[in-house]
Order: sequence, then C-alpha cells, then structure tokens
Amino acid sequence: MSMRPHRRAVLLGVASLVLVAGSVLTVEAQKKGGILKVGNLGEPPALDAHWTTASITEMLTNHVYEGLYSLDNGNRPIPMLAESHTVSKDGLVYTFKLRQGVKFHNGKEMTSEDVVASLARWGKQSIYGKALFAQVADWKAVDKYTVEMKLKEKSAIVLISLAVPNNFGAIYPKEIAEKFAPEVKATEWIGTGPFKLAEWKPDQYIRMVRFDDYKSRNEKPNGYGGGKTAYLDEVRFQPVPEVATRVAQVETGELDFADDLNLDAYDRLKKNPNLRPIVTKPYYWLVAVLNKKEGLMTNQKLRQAWQAAIDIEPIMKNVAGGHTEFYRMDSSLVPPEIAAWHTKLSGLPWNEHNKDKVKRLLQEAGYKKEPIRFMTTQEYKWMYDFALLTKQQLEDVGFTIDLQVVDWATLVKRRNNSKEYDAFTTGIGAFYDPTHPVFLTPSWPGWTTDEDILKLQAELARETDPKKRMALWEQQTRQFYEKVPVIRYGDLFGLRAIRNTTKGFNEKTERIRFYNVWVEK
Amino acid sequence: MTVYLVRRLLTLIPVLAVVVTVVFLLIHLIPGDPVSVMLGPDATPAQIDATRQALGLDRPLHEQLVKFYARVLRGDLGQSYFLDRPVVTALLERAEPTMVLTFSALLVAILIGVPSGIIAAAYPGSLWDRTLMLGALLGVCVPGFWLSLNFIYLFAVRLGWLPAAGYASIFADPVAALRYMVLPAVSLGFNQSALIARISRSCMLEALQQDYIRTARAKGLSTGVVTWVHAFRNALVPVVTVIGITMAILIGGAVVTEIVFNIPGLGRLIISAVLRRDYPVVQGVILVTATAYVLINLAVDAVYVLIDPRIRYE
Repeated sequence: MSMRPHRRAVLLGVASLVLVAGSVLTVEAQKKGGILKVGNLGEPPALDAHWTTASITEMLTNHVYEGLYSLDNGNRPIPMLAESHTVSKDGLVYTFKLRQGVKFHNGKEMTSEDVVASLARWGKQSIYGKALFAQVADWKAVDKYTVEMKLKEKSAIVLISLAVPNNFGAIYPKEIAEKFAPEVKATEWIGTGPFKLAEWKPDQYIRMVRFDDYKSRNEKPNGYGGGKTAYLDEVRFQPVPEVATRVAQVETGELDFADDLNLDAYDRLKKNPNLRPIVTKPYYWLVAVLNKKEGLMTNQKLRQAWQAAIDIEPIMKNVAGGHTEFYRMDSSLVPPEIAAWHTKLSGLPWNEHNKDKVKRLLQEAGYKKEPIRFMTTQEYKWMYDFALLTKQQLEDVGFTIDLQVVDWATLVKRRNNSKEYDAFTTGIGAFYDPTHPVFLTPSWPGWTTDEDILKLQAELARETDPKKRMALWEQQTRQFYEKVPVIRYGDLFGLRAIRNTTKGFNEKTERIRFYNVWVEK
Repeated sequence: MTVYLVRRLLTLIPVLAVVVTVVFLLIHLIPGDPVSVMLGPDATPAQIDATRQALGLDRPLHEQLVKFYARVLRGDLGQSYFLDRPVVTALLERAEPTMVLTFSALLVAILIGVPSGIIAAAYPGSLWDRTLMLGALLGVCVPGFWLSLNFIYLFAVRLGWLPAAGYASIFADPVAALRYMVLPAVSLGFNQSALIARISRSCMLEALQQDYIRTARAKGLSTGVVTWVHAFRNALVPVVTVIGITMAILIGGAVVTEIVFNIPGLGRLIISAVLRRDYPVVQGVILVTATAYVLINLAVDAVYVLIDPRIRYE
C-alpha cells in the first residue's frame, strides 16, 4: 500500500519538526556557564608547551594554545590553525595556508610571522620540533597568511610532528616566542585556544576562563581537534597531591572531575550513583629500560634472557590490583587506540616465560649471577610493583637483581648516567608515529645505538608511502623483540572519575580536555 | 631581661648561618636534579644540560654557595625553579594557611590536652585518669595520616557535614575558612594534644605532692581552688615549653595534614620542593622555620618570667 503524496508530505513535515526540535533541545542542553573543578596530581613545571614533555603541562597548555595541526579520533593529523596545506611534487616544499581572523588572547590577530617565530623556537627545544627541524632547510612566511617549509629531504613526519599534543608546536605571539630563548621557559601565556589563563596560584589552582573571541573551526569535535566550544565560564585545575583526597573530593562533589586515581578506588567509585569512573586507555605500557651503553645489559643475550623469563600476566594483574579492566596483554609497541600503527604480528618472543630458553641464553651470555642494578621508585606505585614482581620472577630463573628504590627526582637524574644503573622502570605513553618512540633513539637514557634499529628509524622518517611505512614498522617491531632495547610488559590503564553533572566529556582521548564540556547543576 | 633577649637574638645569626649552609650542602649533595624533573620524562641529556646552564646549576657548588650567601644578605632568597616567582613571595603566600592551621590546631591541642592532664592528675588511678590517658596514648600512637583520612571519610564523604579538603582565606570568607579548618585542626590538634596531656598530668602530679598544696588543703580550700589556683600555675612552666615546641613544629609545616587536607601551606611547599629539588624554595622554607623555632623558644623563655616570678635572667 502506497501513501498518498500529501500525507507523506505531512509526515515528513512532522518528522522534520521533531528533528529540528530535537536538535534545538540538544543545543539548549549544552548550556553555557558554570565552573568546573578538576583535581589533578600536582603542579606543572611550566606552562610553556615547547619547553617540557611533562604530561601535566601537555594537558593544561592544550586548553590555552593551539598548533597548526591536531589529532582526530583515530589519532591522525587534522588541521587546527592551518586552513590547508599543499606539498610540492618532489615532496620537499610544504606550503601552509593559515586560518584568517584567529585571535590571540591579547586581541592580536594570528599571522604567519607568529607561526614562523613560534615553530622556530619549538624546533630548537621540543623533542618533536627538533626531529622535524633537523630535516628543514628553510622556514619562512610567504605572506600574512601563508608559511612555507622547505625540507632537505623527503619527510614522513611533517604533519604528525605538527599535530602531536605533547611538547607541541603551540603558536605564541611573535613577541613572546622571540622574548624567551628556547632553553628558558616562557612565563607569559598567550595563545589562541578556547580558554585563556586567568590566574595561577601554585598549590591552589590554575584558573582558565572562556575566551569569548575564540574562533572555532566549523567541523564537529573530532578527537583533540575539530570544532571547540568553551561552554564553561571557568575551568579550575586544582592540584590535590594525595590521591585518597582526590577520590573523597569527587565523591563529595567538591571536584567535578578527578584524574590519576588509584585503581583500588574503582569499586568504591562504581557504587557511587553521583559519578562515573572512567578507565583511561591508552595510559602506559610498562617498561624496563636497559642500559646499552655500558655494564651487564650491553649483552644482547642477557637482555633476551630477561625478556624470555618474565610471565607478564600475573605482573599486570597484580599491578592493576586484580582488576582485569585495567590491563591488556598486547605485544604491539603502539596501542590499538592508535589504529594506524598497531601491529598484529604472531610469533614474537613476548611473554614466553620459558625457563629452558632463559637457561640457555644465560649460559650463552656468560652470566655469572652478577647483580643487575634495577632502579625504581615508590612515587609511582605501579612502577615499584612491577619492579618488585620482576625481581622475584627473574631471581627464580637464575638472575641476581639489586633493586634500588629511589625517589623520582633521583631516578630521572641517575638514568642519564650510564655508570649508575643497568635497568630502570618507567612507562611509555602513546606515540603517534613510528619515528617518535624515545626508547629507539641513541640520545635517550638506555641509549639505543643499534645500527639496524637506527637505520630503520631513519627510513621510517623518510618514507612517505603509508603501506611501505607500515611494512617497515612491522619489521622494526620484529627487530625490537630480537634486539631487546627495552623490556615491554603489558598495557596498564588509568582511572578517572567524573560527576554525572559534567556533560560532553570525550572519554576516548588519552589526555583530558574540557572544551565542548558543560555542567548541569 | 632586655640584655638577655638581645643576646639571644644575636645568637640567631650564627644559628641561621649554620642551618643555611648545612641545608644548602645537603640538598645539593643528595642525588636528583630539578632540571630532569622540569623538562619531563622524554627530555634528552643535551636539553637537560642547556637548561642547567641557563639556571646556573652547572657552576661549581662553592660558587653557587657564595652567590646564595650574597643574595640572602640582600634579603633575596632567589627564584623558585618551578613556581615562576621569588621564593619570598611563595613563602608569604603560604604563611597564612600555615599560621591559621598552626593556631587552630594548637588551640584544639591545648583545649584537649591541658584539662585532660589536670583532671587525670587530680584523680590519679581513677576511671577518668585511665580513660583520658588512654586517649592521650591513642593520640600519640594513631598516625596523623590515618586519622585524617578517616575523618574525611566519616565527616565529609559519609555524613557530608564538612568539606573533605581545601582552604579558604580567613580574611576573604571567614565562614568557609572555619568549615575548611575544622577537620585538619581537630585531627592535628588531637595528635598534638597527647603530649601536652601527658606532660600536664605528670607536672600536676608533682605539683600536687608539694608541701604548699598540703598546706592549702589543710587550710580547707576546695579541690578546685587547690588544683587550679595553687598547683596549676606551678605546673605550667614545662607545659608552656611543650606548647612552644609544638607551635614551632607546626609552623615548620604540619606536612601530612597539609597534604591530606590540601592546604597550601609551608609543609606542602617544602615537600613538593624537596621532591622536585627546587633548591631555593627548600632553603627558604628551612630559613623561615629555623628563625621561627629560635624566636618561639625565646618567647617561651620570656613567658616563664611571667608565669613564675622566681625565674630571673641576668
């Protein structure tokens, strides 16, 4: 039975009205105003995005500043302050068109001279900037809204380097970018982001207020990028160093959001009807970084023996406090959340816990139970826990582990001195391109100087064809498990909690963002 | 008396010189590096070296020490590496929360400790004595950390009577300040009251056994008058000493309480400064604490004269 044309028209009209009303209601639901209180671990060492890789600085500065590119839901580069770009046929010249009418928090319009000055500074200080600018022959403004980057050789890392959120290529006004030398942290904080810094009272709060002249992109919100709307009048980031206090404050409603919580609070938070615990993925994969410059771990057979010895699942389960929701067994060096570089290779010598193999490798290594100095810290409980369990497992199969527990400041100092340790614990956060892992570089503690690894890394930086790059990355992953520059454990997840009155929060991003978030109180 | 006080004030100079030097050397000699912490986990040694140079941390230790002395003599305690402000400013910002916490906790400690000690001493061996001294024992034994967290769980999370943590300035919002200060002051005060109660009890017991007390009782004075008018004043000198010491300790920062209740005071400042190796801040806080310690002890000595006219400083 067919419908008469006028009835169909009426129904369509009603349906349209419902849709329009629905969309209006949705828009109304996203109301402006309110203060959002966020409890985090501590104080940032700086609010200069170029200057430090500290994750707390990354989280805070991404509300104030923006780069030319950002990352989408799949962690791929998308334009942010750039309108578009073109690449010359030979792949050596990138021309970026900038968005027009974008204002800094001081009212000045962002132009090419700000971009050139900012990225020149970033290229001298940031780990990602340095890697990119090592390939840059010339970097200049073409006109008010166009900048040009000439490369020495073809590069695969231009866009992704400009898009990474950590230690990122934030655009500052030219005056600020030139006022502070790259090695000196900037102490004037003017960006183009949806929030501007209003007040920083150390140990009390960092207050960011809505930037009313913010010019959003027209696209929908997408990962870290896309359209950004500051619904909140103010975001107040409050350092609450004691984790039990952060938990209590989000339970009582003194905080709207609490980050970096202990996993043992999960069950308690789940029972609270006023809030929702969020499992943070990705967080870190646990790693024992091995000193390949001097000492016992320069012996590849010994490194392979460590890798073959450990039984990862019980370690992860213990570190995660028995909660299976908080760890993942995965051998890929990139988490599945970064789909473009997640590998699914079989037959890798990961999580083998093979005693016969360990025995053979220790014999081949000529290991005579010399103590292996393994540094860890109790400041991060998960580091200490996995180091302790590793010691037990390794000693069960013939290793002697000298577990050295120090505070974090001591660990990060000592790990730069190759004479002071054989291994140390840390976590590897998400990286968005195969060229980014610091543990595959010769300059980072642990010092990976293996020629084959470095050769493949250089090829990965040059190769621009995505399929060929993936093949190279799979080859590098296999090589990683053969050369064992570090020991890869499992993926650990983090815990956050959000009050039900906080709406619009994107749970999928690794680090928290509060644009597009509103409160209903 | 005046000569004595001036002489004591002059001794402050060598005391502070020694404290400052020892602290400078200790904090610089322990392992750890502020720059590695500041630049984050992925910083390369080359970046770290460049920033160390920019901050002057690559200079020999004796050179840094001489520069530090020169600055202190000018009243400049340097610039915090992390807080982007002079150390003096950071200290002044933290002074109010610490002072408010100190005096509130001290008040709670005195209000609990002194009467408990006196009542216990007035009725030795009684149920009162045993109950109050058990309370004092608990105050000494129960870790402040545990007590604070349980207070938060009970009074903030379960009952919702008081905020779990935070701080409001007493000058900006006295009501909010009071609400924020109740739990930290009570938990810290309870811990500190234990020592005051035990000292009060033993001093009172000693005083109550003196001949003049027997005389007072023989005169037919009531127990209350004997206890509070005759014995209490004579038992007060050691109690004032303990109160003075408690106050000096609290001004140095009730570290655990400030961290658990998220109070931005000196205790929290020094802990974060030590963990991050913010050398100028550590030195600044120690300098202030040492000065406060000496001055409070001096004030306690002066109070002795008021309490006990027999005490004379020549």
